[in-house]
Amino acid sequence: MNSAIVCEHVTKRYSSLTAVNDVSFSVKEGEIFGLVGPNGAGKTTLIEMIEGLRTPDGGSIRALGLDPNKQGGELREKIGVLLQATSIQPDIKVKEALKLFASFYEHTVGDTAELLHTLSLEDKANSRFRKLSGGLKQRTAIALALVNDPVILFLDELTTGLDPQARRNMWDFVDKVRKEGKTVFLTTHYMEEAEKLCDRVAIIDYGKIIALDTPRGLIEQLGAESKVIFKIEDSDMDAAKFESIKSVSRAEKSPDGFTLYTRDENAALQGLVRLADKQGFRLTSIRTESPNLDDVFLTLTGREIRE
Amino acid sequence: MRGLWQFTLAELRLNLRNPTALFWSIAFPTLWMSLFGALFSEPMPGFGYEGLNYANFLLPAGISIVILASAFIGMPIALTTYRETGVLKRLRVTPLKISTLALGFTISQFLFIALVIVVLFVVGKIFFDVQVLGSWLALLGMIIFGMVTFLSLGSAIGSVVGSWRADAVITQIIFIPMMFLSDMFMPISIFPEWLQPICHALPLTPLNVILRDIVYGVPIDNLWQLGILGGWLVAGAVVTIVFFRWE
Repeated sequence: MNSAIVCEHVTKRYSSLTAVNDVSFSVKEGEIFGLVGPNGAGKTTLIEMIEGLRTPDGGSIRALGLDPNKQGGELREKIGVLLQATSIQPDIKVKEALKLFASFYEHTVGDTAELLHTLSLEDKANSRFRKLSGGLKQRTAIALALVNDPVILFLDELTTGLDPQARRNMWDFVDKVRKEGKTVFLTTHYMEEAEKLCDRVAIIDYGKIIALDTPRGLIEQLGAESKVIFKIEDSDMDAAKFESIKSVSRAEKSPDGFTLYTRDENAALQGLVRLADKQGFRLTSIRTESPNLDDVFLTLTGREIRE
Repeated sequence: MRGLWQFTLAELRLNLRNPTALFWSIAFPTLWMSLFGALFSEPMPGFGYEGLNYANFLLPAGISIVILASAFIGMPIALTTYRETGVLKRLRVTPLKISTLALGFTISQFLFIALVIVVLFVVGKIFFDVQVLGSWLALLGMIIFGMVTFLSLGSAIGSVVGSWRADAVITQIIFIPMMFLSDMFMPISIFPEWLQPICHALPLTPLNVILRDIVYGVPIDNLWQLGILGGWLVAGAVVTIVFFRWE
């Protein structure tokens, strides 16, 4: 498979701050690639260098085989961009904006009405941009990014500031784009989002990529265990008792109940239920917690990812 | 130049939707012309048009105000807003070329001003029987020269003015004083002698003087003033090129 984006030793400095530090990676064609990290980690600087908005101080970038700085015009024909907090002319109507943006490109989707339909914007075609809600503005911005039927779609902070419903709509939308076979390069500081949407995830912190793999791969690589958390009605029990359950490596007792650590949630749960049956105690509030990308980030950096 | 026509059209439409631009560019000069036209019946003394049709005195001043307001208020505000809110940045990741953007933006302002001047002329004709006694061609040429010069200055202001409250600064510091100092409402000869050279160096003065001479059909004996206008045109363009920022 060909690479849609190749970055080699890319560096960007702002006076004393190195925003992006010797970053190398490549994105395959048709892949949904996520760049994840806390605010200020260098996500936007990196994505904007690939889009040709900023010039790297070192290293090389190729997108669709083109140099974003020297062949920017050619590249911009083939990419769609959602900037962080995009704005367009505030008083322009949605359908006017689509027509305007379509006029900039040699090749376009042809039918902007269908684009409006894809993003459920038909009702808003005659609304002015500034009167739209955050979610609708974001959808309009995406419609504009798709107007040239781009090969690569860049989505910078796709769901930041959106309510949960609007966020889920965005996720559904990325799924649609995936099916069309477009390459998507997105940034987010929501681990959950990266885990759900991306084929591969690069974790960036202080300008450096500190991990890059599939979400599953990152979690497995971490070697973290799942947790089985529960309470029992007669809580006067010793945690050590549960360590006899097959696949449980460790058991802990806290005022909130018991926590079992395991690499096989299924076996641990079955063993626990059997034990409860045999010994005649009642289990309540059982839940399991699988390790997720948040844990990966915490393990790698010693910090939790927060806005 | 792909996208030029659509961009020009969109910007023109947005201008017509912008209440600030509409007030300063259409309502203000029209109201001003109507008020003065109703209050006075003779040209103010000191300009050299005593005894001539007063309405003809109003038209060139109205045209000047339209050009000044559009170029110094409407355009810099649009430009500053576009930069601050990221509109320019968004346009930059499309294949739209900067030359196309600049040209489209200028043409849209140009068409907007032209439209307002037509409105002004119709109002002047219907209510005050304005007559153009000089050459129509000269009038048109002078209007175009004035528009280009002031749009160049307006884009310079829009490029230099950063994140200030641009509209307030521009109106209070430049727009209002210039209207009074540039031979529009009162003749320059009434100002103290040290101030008069400054008045003559302002870009609005030659526009006022020459437009009025053309409308009154009197021989233009101050063509040298076109040089002042040309100087401002070049200065504005240079400042724009040096200071223009996308973000």
